[in-house]
Parts: sequence; C-alpha cells; structure tokens
Amino acid sequence: MPLKKIGELKVNSQPASLAEVDRFTEKLIRKMPFPNEAQDDVAISISEAVNNAIMHGNRQDPQKQVLIRFYSCSQYLRIVVQDHGLGFTPNRVPDPRKEENLLKASGRGMLIMRHLMDRVVFRVVKMGMQVILEKRFPGGLPT
Amino acid sequence: MKLKLHEENNVLIIEIKGKMMGGPEANDFHEALKTEIGKGFKKFILDLREVDWMNSSGLGMLIGGLTTIKNAGGELKLSSVTEKIHSLFVITKLVTIFESYDSMEKALESYR
Repeated sequence: MPLKKIGELKVNSQPASLAEVDRFTEKLIRKMPFPNEAQDDVAISISEAVNNAIMHGNRQDPQKQVLIRFYSCSQYLRIVVQDHGLGFTPNRVPDPRKEENLLKASGRGMLIMRHLMDRVVFRVVKMGMQVILEKRFPGGLPT
Repeated sequence: MKLKLHEENNVLIIEIKGKMMGGPEANDFHEALKTEIGKGFKKFILDLREVDWMNSSGLGMLIGGLTTIKNAGGELKLSSVTEKIHSLFVITKLVTIFESYDSMEKALESYR
C-alpha cells in the first residue's frame, strides 16, 4: 500500500507551538474519512508527541525545531514527529498508573497515545527521536 | 480553552470550554484558582461539559488544581465529564483520585 506525503509542518520548540500544530492537524484530518471521535484521537496523540518533542526532546531549545510529517494510504494515516533530542527508552518511563505516580502532573502521554492510536513506534534516528503514529481509516479512501 | 467563573451557594464553579492541552493556558487556570482561594473559596466544581478534548497536559492541569485546592484545605469536584474524557480517566486510573458527578445539580448537592 503506497504511502503518500500529504502535509508537513515545522514548529519552534516552545509550548505555544501546540496551538499551531492543532490548527494544522484539524484542517488536515477534517478531509480524512475518520468519524469525529477518531479525529480527536489523532489530534490528542499528535499533541502528546509534539509536546514530548518540545519539552523532553528539544528541551525548549530555540535553535531546534520539531518536524511533523503526515502520510496516508487507502487504509491509514501515519504521522511522524521528529525532534533533535537524544531519545529515550520507552520501557524505562515510569508507569503513571502506579499509586506513587498518580498525583504527578506529567508522564501520561505515551500511555494515552498507545490507547488512542492503532500503532505507536518510538525510534532513535540519526538526527534525533522519531515517534510514528498510525490510525486506520474505518473504510474508503481519503477524499 | 476558555474559563468562566461564577459562584453558587458558596461554591466556586469553573466552566471550561474548548481544548485542554496545557501550555500557557494552564498558567491562566492556576492563577484563577489561586485568586479564588485567596478570596476565601474552599469548595470548587469544574464543569467539563463543554471540553472538546483533553490531553495529558490537560490532565496534569486538573491534578495541579486538585493539589493546590487540597493544600489550601479545600475540595475539588468534577461535573459533567464527557464519555471521551471519562475514558482517559479510566485508562490513566485518575478515576480513583477525582470525585466526579454526572450533572451540576448532583455536584452541588454533594456539597450540601
């Protein structure tokens, strides 16, 4: 199934960029054959991946940007979020559902992405860390 | 995200509208809470009926709010949590720390 690039956005490593990413995402996924709930799942997951890239990957370094690329084929949407950080080992992230972590204000992004998307992959690449998110279309081609 | 505050029976009700995605808006929320705590309010209800969606930063904002209010000797309850947000509370196990009611009437009733 050939994947086609359908969009790309580069944002600065600051929390205010999340609103820009959300506007871009909303416009793009509105054209996809997703029910409203699945559109929200995608938007929430992208916000999680971008927030992690800004805060933990690029550590809000103004010299570094976060790159978000969108691809689709007839069966699913793929989003690739890339930062310039050193990466991390997903298995070493503390489980936010444990009693001692419940009142912590952060650390739930990975859990939420995995719950809302069909496939989530974390991988270290030459230039930084990539998060790949995939969500299947319920049926039919994107218009 | 927009906040609308009003008082009813000595309970401070905060209606939240839009997307709860953290960022600079989380600071506005915490500042608003601190101001109201400073005025003497102890009982708070967050009305989440018009929240479109929430990410982990939004959840973090709620946890921060709960901690701030509890540390000031107050209580925070949630009202009208949508099904979608409830499912996030379930997977993150935050259902165990937030007191939540189906409607504003029931949330207000719980303070009487």
